[in-house]
Amino acid sequence: MMHSKTKRNEVVSMNIIELKNVGYAYENKRKVLKAINLSLEEGKMYAILGSSGCGKTTLLSLMGGLDSPSDGQIFYEGKNIEKAGLSAHRKNNVAFIFQSYNLIDYLTPKENVALTSKLPPQPILERVGLTEEESRRNVLKLSGGQQQRVAIARALASDAKVILADEPTGNLDEDTAAEIANILKECAHQMNKCVVIVTHSNELAKQADEVLRLHRGEMKMLDRLNQSGRSGCYTEIVLQTYKAFNR
Amino acid sequence: MNLGTRAILYTARKWKKTLLLFCLLLSITTLVLSGLAISDAQEEQAEELRGTTGTSFTVSRNTATGGWGNGGNGSYSTQEYLTSDMMEKIVAVDGIEGYNASIRTILCLSDVNGQWLEQLEPTGHSMVDCQFYSYSCINSEYHSLFLSGALEMCDGEMLAPSFDNGIIISKEIADKHGLHVGDTIQAVNDPFSNDKTKELKIVGLFEVVADKTDERNNFNEASYYDYANNAFVSETTMKALLENYEDVGYASADFFVNDPEQLEGIIQQVQKITSINWNNFIITANDEVYERVSSSISDTGTLVTTLIVLITVVSMVLIILILSMSIRSRKKEMGILLAVGIEKPAVILQYTIETLLIAVAAFPLAYLSSKQVAGMLGTLFGKTAESVIVTTQHFTLVATLGAILLIAAVLISCIPAMRLKPKEILSQME
Ligand SMILES: Nc1ncnc2c1ncn2[C@@H]1O[C@H](COP(=O)(O)OP(=O)(O)OP(=O)(O)O)[C@@H](O)[C@H]1O
Ligand SMILES: [Mg+2]
Repeated sequence: MMHSKTKRNEVVSMNIIELKNVGYAYENKRKVLKAINLSLEEGKMYAILGSSGCGKTTLLSLMGGLDSPSDGQIFYEGKNIEKAGLSAHRKNNVAFIFQSYNLIDYLTPKENVALTSKLPPQPILERVGLTEEESRRNVLKLSGGQQQRVAIARALASDAKVILADEPTGNLDEDTAAEIANILKECAHQMNKCVVIVTHSNELAKQADEVLRLHRGEMKMLDRLNQSGRSGCYTEIVLQTYKAFNR
Repeated sequence: MNLGTRAILYTARKWKKTLLLFCLLLSITTLVLSGLAISDAQEEQAEELRGTTGTSFTVSRNTATGGWGNGGNGSYSTQEYLTSDMMEKIVAVDGIEGYNASIRTILCLSDVNGQWLEQLEPTGHSMVDCQFYSYSCINSEYHSLFLSGALEMCDGEMLAPSFDNGIIISKEIADKHGLHVGDTIQAVNDPFSNDKTKELKIVGLFEVVADKTDERNNFNEASYYDYANNAFVSETTMKALLENYEDVGYASADFFVNDPEQLEGIIQQVQKITSINWNNFIITANDEVYERVSSSISDTGTLVTTLIVLITVVSMVLIILILSMSIRSRKKEMGILLAVGIEKPAVILQYTIETLLIAVAAFPLAYLSSKQVAGMLGTLFGKTAESVIVTTQHFTLVATLGAILLIAAVLISCIPAMRLKPKEILSQME
């Protein structure tokens, strides 16, 4: 296992996902991602910002083992995910939340949550705010926000330590988006998961412990909050840096 | 959740798709099962035909190669006749079922008291009316009039080769004179000569089956005698009645084979019999009827087979199309399942189980429904409804092959999606 240590030699946290020089190009095309190096830790929520088409979804798919990088390697708990098997990686280590919810339409919310989990689905669904009755409906008869909650519940129910969310609030109103953001944050902080969110929303990015920006295939760290300093000044820093970057 | 549960839930909740596939499978399987039953009935009919068309060959004197003599009635062939000895040698060849050769004469029949019997429609001249057109038979069963179906036994039995002092007359003549099977009558060849009169027991009665109103069918063309005025006696009886005349043998004899397909081979075997001088005899095959009927039957057979193959192929294409459309529409689901770490083989297995679940319901039902419709469909191909039977063997065959074909269809339908990476599946649907 890879441990990052402070100068005082105490274990602070663990890099659960590491990307080393990851590059990706779609067939016969320019490189979407160029030599990305990234270390993500458990217990934190990350936001990845970037203009449309810059490769955010691609990066997330690589981390989640939906595809393999053209160059470089991706490690999960120190092991190359390709050597261990991408299918096993998807099954055991990561859980996806998509912008378009991606629920199975012939299954109820309960059954969607139980798809890969042996945990009783109802308490988890209740935790993300679905009633018992809603949990038994056909998923297509739920509102977008409710469907996204089901998708989150499905991610929570799995044992995966990494949750990869691609614009999870893209289709939702502000209030619901804020609630979803809270749930995801809780996931990271209370359940000690590593939550990675791709988003265009500054509101959502503000909730993150770290904000990363993908630009022209390269990754820039915008902000890192220390353990004690999760505070209001965060917003300002983000906005300033964000503006500076966009210039 | 395991893939079996997912398969059941999908089948139950997407019931419209399930119903469509179910109906399709039900009708196709019913058609194929019926087709198989018809094709079997076909085979049976063909087999029956082989046994009943009475295919035979005739051995006759070759008058072209014999010399000619002159007598009171003009010239006659001096070619040798067929003897009993020769006929026995021929009948010993494998595959010959029986044979017959006849001597025709006109016998005068009377009751035990010497009272002449009368023809069906008497002329009033007792010495004409008592004349009955008679055949001797080695085996009356093989007499052409019985084989062709013009006459049919309605009482008593046929004249076997061993039978002596027996006669078969028509039921009409028997009724006319109050005679029955077991009664005795008398027969003489020429009452005005010193020909012997013999007492003969009536062993059987025949009916004229040929249409009564059809003159041509009702009369013996060779003699213009009404078939009802025909009589049949055994070979030994005839020889005894004709003992004043020279026994020359037979001009021709008919030999009957079990299997019409073998006719040619049997004739070749017969021609190898060296004790018979084949320069003096001609062999003619009588298999036009079989050839004609069997070629029409094999035409229907080809038609049925073609139809079964066509139905199966067309329906397989249809099912593959429907399944591929259905699986294409399930790309999103496939992407999600892969994204949550379910492996491709498990997804394919789920789709296979869904299809087989429907088949498990459709196949047995098709078995029952084909039992209802097969007979009806069979009549379209000239089969009687009763002869078209859907058996459990048909069902096992169709169910096994059907299951294999369905699995193949699912696999084929899955190929395009299965070649993609999960990312590609997910990005394609967005
Ligand atoms: N299947 C594909 N084949 C070829 N090029 C692709 C494919 N998918 C994406 N791309 C290209 O790769 C680049 C990155 O795409 P990606 O979906 O990762 O962007 P993104 O950052 O998620 O954008 P958005 O914010 O709009 O979702 C884009 O230029 C896109 O056109
Ligand atoms: Mg995207």
